[in-house]
Amino acid sequence: MDTTAFLQNVSNGFLIGGVYALIGIGLTLVFGVMRTINFAHGDFTVLGMYGAVAFNSAIGWDPYAALIVAVPAAFIGGVLIERFVLSRLVEAPPETTLLATLGLSLIIGNCLLLIWGPEPESVNVPYAATTLAVGSVRVSVVLLAAGLMTLAAITALWLFLSRTETGRAVKATASNRLGAELVGIDTRRIHSLVFGLGTSLAVIAGVALIPLLFANPTNLGPIFTLKAFVVTVLGGLGNVWAAIAGGLILGIVEVLGTAYLASEYRDAYGLIVFLAILLLRPEGLFGRTTKRA
Amino acid sequence: MSRVWIIFAGLAVLGLVYPFAMPGMLSVAVTVLLFAGWATAWDIAGGWCGQVSLGHAAFVGLGAYVVALGQVELGVPPWFGLPVAAALAAGLAWCWGRLTFSLAGPYFTLSTIAVAEILRMVAINEDWLTGGAIGVFISTLPEPFGIDLFSREAQYWMALAFALGTIALVAILSERRFGYRMRAVREDENSAMAAGIDPTATKLHAFMLSGALTAVGGGIYGIFLSYLEPHVMFYLFLSVQIALTSIIGGRGTVFGPAAGAVLLVGAGEIFRTTFAQANLLIYGILILIVVLFFPRGLVAELIRGVARRRYAQSTQGE
Repeated sequence: MDTTAFLQNVSNGFLIGGVYALIGIGLTLVFGVMRTINFAHGDFTVLGMYGAVAFNSAIGWDPYAALIVAVPAAFIGGVLIERFVLSRLVEAPPETTLLATLGLSLIIGNCLLLIWGPEPESVNVPYAATTLAVGSVRVSVVLLAAGLMTLAAITALWLFLSRTETGRAVKATASNRLGAELVGIDTRRIHSLVFGLGTSLAVIAGVALIPLLFANPTNLGPIFTLKAFVVTVLGGLGNVWAAIAGGLILGIVEVLGTAYLASEYRDAYGLIVFLAILLLRPEGLFGRTTKRA
Repeated sequence: MSRVWIIFAGLAVLGLVYPFAMPGMLSVAVTVLLFAGWATAWDIAGGWCGQVSLGHAAFVGLGAYVVALGQVELGVPPWFGLPVAAALAAGLAWCWGRLTFSLAGPYFTLSTIAVAEILRMVAINEDWLTGGAIGVFISTLPEPFGIDLFSREAQYWMALAFALGTIALVAILSERRFGYRMRAVREDENSAMAAGIDPTATKLHAFMLSGALTAVGGGIYGIFLSYLEPHVMFYLFLSVQIALTSIIGGRGTVFGPAAGAVLLVGAGEIFRTTFAQANLLIYGILILIVVLFFPRGLVAELIRGVARRRYAQSTQGE
């Protein structure tokens, strides 16, 4: 086996995995706190991609600058969706919220289709093909930027969850909703906040991905959602740090599978891992072996 | 003769008269009937037994490919192809259910997407079996008793038989012991077990029946399109459409899924020019409305409303 090619593949897988992790932690956070399976998560990522495209074509700034507008907008959008849709379904059976978010996913994707049409959209940036040489391995600048954004977003999230009073309230709500309410936490506000954070993280991932991938209104959303699920399940549902490891594993499995097994099955590897984990270790690779109720 | 069978007879008469009343609108009618049959078949597992699947397009694809490849490669006529497709689909459902019925609720739903997507990738990539992404073209079909199976009329009668047969089967099952077993498992698996019901076996049988019927519809769909592409047959959004048609119409009711098919395919036709490819927007909006305001589905909620009003009137008269 060629060592340079192998290292190249691993580094690509690592960086792609970073973006998967960024998509995945939003989903993990929402699931961990609200027990909601958010089927529209990938569509928020696609929304982020289109936001960056619109920002770039309207003002002509660098697509990454779209974050200034997109993140607050996504947060407000997420809070509104939680308030008007998901908070009404807290008592309903768990499939109900899945169906509601599936409906949101269809609405977002098809509205984008109505506005932009079915042709894939992208942005032109001068550094799209630029690479940095690290030893014998070449690292794409765009992928590196995506990896750095992942790192920044995850660090910020971790600081928020562990160092602020609200963050600790979020963690309390995740571990025991009733207990959190007993000590005076307004868990309905926490749910809105968490869903807003989840959509913001999805949108950040979308902006990070736009120089790499073509945005497509309806098909890309479910692909991202499935990848996010794979990441989440790999790490254990509801565990933010493990989701990072899950993302990196998924990225590496995909790239190595494509390079050394059959390249046509790129998207299948993640799904096979997903099924295997769901069936054999539902608590995730890093979860504690406990029976869930 | 209960009320269900009176409605069923009405639908059958409507189906028999339709092609003579509106001979120019047969394609839409075939689509409505296929979706009515698929949604009713989906409802056996998804509504009556509570196992929400978002992977039923895999059964549609399997049925379509078995019938088409049987005809094109082996010269097996569709009337042998369809039972074979149903048997294979039941086998697939058995393996699939064995694998994933240990998962509950939304986890099962997620696993169905994963299984169906893996099967879609197999259909796209295994060219030797499925013709790959290029697809399969059905160029010749046998002519039993001189009937041209490529004609819309013949396809209409096949689709009508499929839809009515599926609805009749569900109507019969709903009154049989198996129907009650499915509902018991849906409501509470532990209580069902305490009553001597094997939940896994019940779920497996429901899923196998649901998959086999869906595959029959898939075979007819393949003949209807006469050109099979894996992107169309195994499409994730086809699974979503089938499931949402049933849920919007009314899960766990005999006629709800069929009513959902009339409503959604009809709405899709009306808004075709407005929305073009964005026709799934209607599904998205309606499922949100249903989930928020009519959790039992539009038709079931309507029936409940009528029943309540009638009861109120009957008590007022006393």
